[in-house]
Amino acid sequence: MEQAVHLDGITKRFPGVVANDDVDLAVEKGTVHALLGENGAGKTTLMNVLYGLYQPTEGTVNVHGETQQFDSPRDAIDEGVGMIHQHFMLVDPMTVTENITLGNEPRKWLGLTVDSEQSREQVRELSERYGFDVDPDARIEDVGVGVQQRVEILKALYRGADVLILDEPTAVLTPQEVEDLFRVLEELTDQGKTIIFITHKLGEAMEAADEITVLREGKNVGTVPADDITREELAEMMVGREVLLDLDREPAEPGRSILDVDDLVVEDDRGVRAVDGISLEVRAGEVLGIAGVDGNGQSELVEAITGLQMPDEGTITYDDVDRTTDSRRERIEAGLAYIPEDRQERGLVMDFDLVENGLLGSQHAADYTSKGRIDWNHTRDHAEEIIEEYDVRPPDANAHAKSLSGGNQQKFVVGREFARDPRLVVASHPTRGVDVGSMEFIHDQINALREAGRAVLLISSNLDEVQSLSDRLAVVYEGEIVDIVDPERVTEEQLGLLMAGQQPDAVPTIAANGEGHQ
Amino acid sequence: MSDDGPSRNGDDPPAPASDDRWSQYRQRLIRLGQTSVGERILIAVSALLLSLVVGTIIVTAAGLMATCRSPVLTFGSTTLCYDPFYVFNRLFLGALGDPFTGGWSPLNAQFAATLRETTILVFTGLSVALAFRAGIFNIGTQGQLIIGALAAALTVLWAGSLVSGTIALVLFIPLGLLAGAIGGGLYGAIPGALKAYADANEVITTIMLNFVAVRVSLYLVRNHFADPTSQATQTRTLPVEGQFPSILFDPRTDFSLLALLIALVFVGGVYYLLEHTAFGYDLRTAGIQPAAAEYGGVDSARTILTSLTLSGALGGIGGAVFVMMTLGKFQTGIPSYGFDGITVSILAGNNPIGAVFAAFLFGVLKSGSNVVAFATNVPPQLVGVLRGLIILFVAMPEFFRIIGRRLARGQSDRQATATAGGGADD
Repeated sequence: MEQAVHLDGITKRFPGVVANDDVDLAVEKGTVHALLGENGAGKTTLMNVLYGLYQPTEGTVNVHGETQQFDSPRDAIDEGVGMIHQHFMLVDPMTVTENITLGNEPRKWLGLTVDSEQSREQVRELSERYGFDVDPDARIEDVGVGVQQRVEILKALYRGADVLILDEPTAVLTPQEVEDLFRVLEELTDQGKTIIFITHKLGEAMEAADEITVLREGKNVGTVPADDITREELAEMMVGREVLLDLDREPAEPGRSILDVDDLVVEDDRGVRAVDGISLEVRAGEVLGIAGVDGNGQSELVEAITGLQMPDEGTITYDDVDRTTDSRRERIEAGLAYIPEDRQERGLVMDFDLVENGLLGSQHAADYTSKGRIDWNHTRDHAEEIIEEYDVRPPDANAHAKSLSGGNQQKFVVGREFARDPRLVVASHPTRGVDVGSMEFIHDQINALREAGRAVLLISSNLDEVQSLSDRLAVVYEGEIVDIVDPERVTEEQLGLLMAGQQPDAVPTIAANGEGHQ
Repeated sequence: MSDDGPSRNGDDPPAPASDDRWSQYRQRLIRLGQTSVGERILIAVSALLLSLVVGTIIVTAAGLMATCRSPVLTFGSTTLCYDPFYVFNRLFLGALGDPFTGGWSPLNAQFAATLRETTILVFTGLSVALAFRAGIFNIGTQGQLIIGALAAALTVLWAGSLVSGTIALVLFIPLGLLAGAIGGGLYGAIPGALKAYADANEVITTIMLNFVAVRVSLYLVRNHFADPTSQATQTRTLPVEGQFPSILFDPRTDFSLLALLIALVFVGGVYYLLEHTAFGYDLRTAGIQPAAAEYGGVDSARTILTSLTLSGALGGIGGAVFVMMTLGKFQTGIPSYGFDGITVSILAGNNPIGAVFAAFLFGVLKSGSNVVAFATNVPPQLVGVLRGLIILFVAMPEFFRIIGRRLARGQSDRQATATAGGGADD
């Protein structure tokens, strides 16, 4: 078989960080190759090197058997390498055709004007050849995310890409759209295209790829055929040790109900019911996990519970007090800690230093502010305590949040929220992007909160995390809870089916009172 | 700018090198966004000097093209009508009352005129800066200043009809300032409420309200509060207790040290509010990262309303000072202090303390322009060009710095992906 891409000994250093360390990668023509690894393993950096966004510190890039020197993505595109980023780069008010041909439009009248008829034809042809169901005249703002992604793929194909890099292509897709995408990938490889896709999800890599290369801490751990490897083996390659963190812990002794959500309905910006009648209860001393494919209403559920979005129907009760219409601040004052999904947008003010960030959410609390005046000395001490306890690096309270790496930002946010001594903790992807050591520390902290009788609602797309930390595990699909299961006895297969909205047999369901039944 | 790649120093963020020209400019902008205070002052001074160089060229060119009776220089048939060095000498030294000549006293009339302009501009600069820090672009300081000025004048005139003597002496100035603050504050609260509760763009509403303020004040003064003894559209003169006393300076200069002192107290107050109070924290957070502010429990509607009200109040106090110090009455056709406040604020990087220096530069240019018009035959339009040039040169680095910071924020995601310690590559 012919090699479409061969990266040879790629090392990419940034000041103070080695993002890729002597990575080899060989991708055969006409195959789907998954690049698997935890967040921060260096997957995206490696692909940015292939795409010409970064120049490697050491090593060479070979495409179609020839050594290449890509100084910019344009060079890569000229050699038939296209990349579809996670955040689409499309012009919303323009049509599919205009977006695809943008910058390379067929011309007429001596190049004075765009030949829109011809470009429409070309796009239609291209779309039909690969079996894409895309209307060339639709406006980007009117079509769904799945279609937008196909437009991005078509854009790369239109520019003559033979090798397509997809960065976390499934993160924004519904399960059906994921299925469609995988079909599209198959069609593309059948016609001789080569696909590299970046993912941190085991299941997807195994389902869609022919070969899988695992990256860990910037190094290539190994390349394996997708057919003869198990999930467990893959997971071990990713993390570097046995994965299922068998936490040594007492069975839950849940106390009274701390959070009560009843028949909650939250509509998203487009008026779609993102949360469609969810009821749940989290009691003192237990962790309720929420598992599901991203985008099945988790964000909206969390925002409604934490007071960032007002629900359209239903009630939210903390400690027997109805807080459905309470403001965000009132909920913080009622003892809520919240680790947000998006630390850079919500959890931290990027232009503030850590002292100021340590105050976020407590700026009106009597501990830090009296008569409207902030006690900056006390606030500084507080920030330094978080930095110390959570090993935030660099250990400098004057550092601006934006100068920290993602993992350290996350550690600071987690530290700040847990330091509130909360009664109720809502943790959304609490270990996203942090290194393995910090991950265990954060997990220990969550367990400590549980043992101290706090109520924890844990949302994560990392199945291992929700399974190992939760006492009960609710699976959401399209804004509804499909089932609440016993995380110790449920299998990954059963979870996968539940997350796809199906109801497998013999699921170890668990009732709200903690008594399991089959 | 040279064509070869920019020399990057070590503390630059890791950047995707690319021969793409835009990405080079982008890196430069981001670098500019990270400049320290010292570097920024250095940049401002260099920009000022550069603007003088460019200004010299323009004045020389204009001087060569103009015809005049007594040229400064003559070579053959070419004549130079304006002396650029003398123009700048008058513009700057004239504004200070010629500090390098014998017998200079800081109490001279021209320096007083400079400080008089500075005082009002400090208020309008603070007004714009406060709103800016909350992420609100208040173009309406001019209107708020007019309403504040009118409210102060009418209140003091009304009070003057009731009491006089010592009580008036103690009471009238605070009363006038309070009236100005309330008038301007309420006038700022209108766009504030519209933005907070109806999502109306404050740029549009404040601009429109400027026109409303001009017309309403014109109508009120002409039809209800006109001074019967005057042809101009103005109110009667305020009682003397309601006018700022000229301390040390000549009363004819219409400048009062007390007013300047009050302005400086407000600078300290706004600084304290922003940096040391919970409300200031809310305001700054809402200004630079609204999503994080919401997360931190900041009530965004209330913050918008409060900050625009305070911003309006500062503009209104500026108007009150203008009435009680400079004019001694309310008169239509108030100079564009509010609009100049926008430039003062940008020049100061929206920093209340910086606003004092920016306002002083503005004051120098304003009063210096008059000296130039008086001392030379350079047309006032050309002086306007020089003023604009200086402002443009000094303000632009600040402006690009703001853009650079925006860009840097956009890039932080991409950077995080690159660092092994924490990839937000999900």
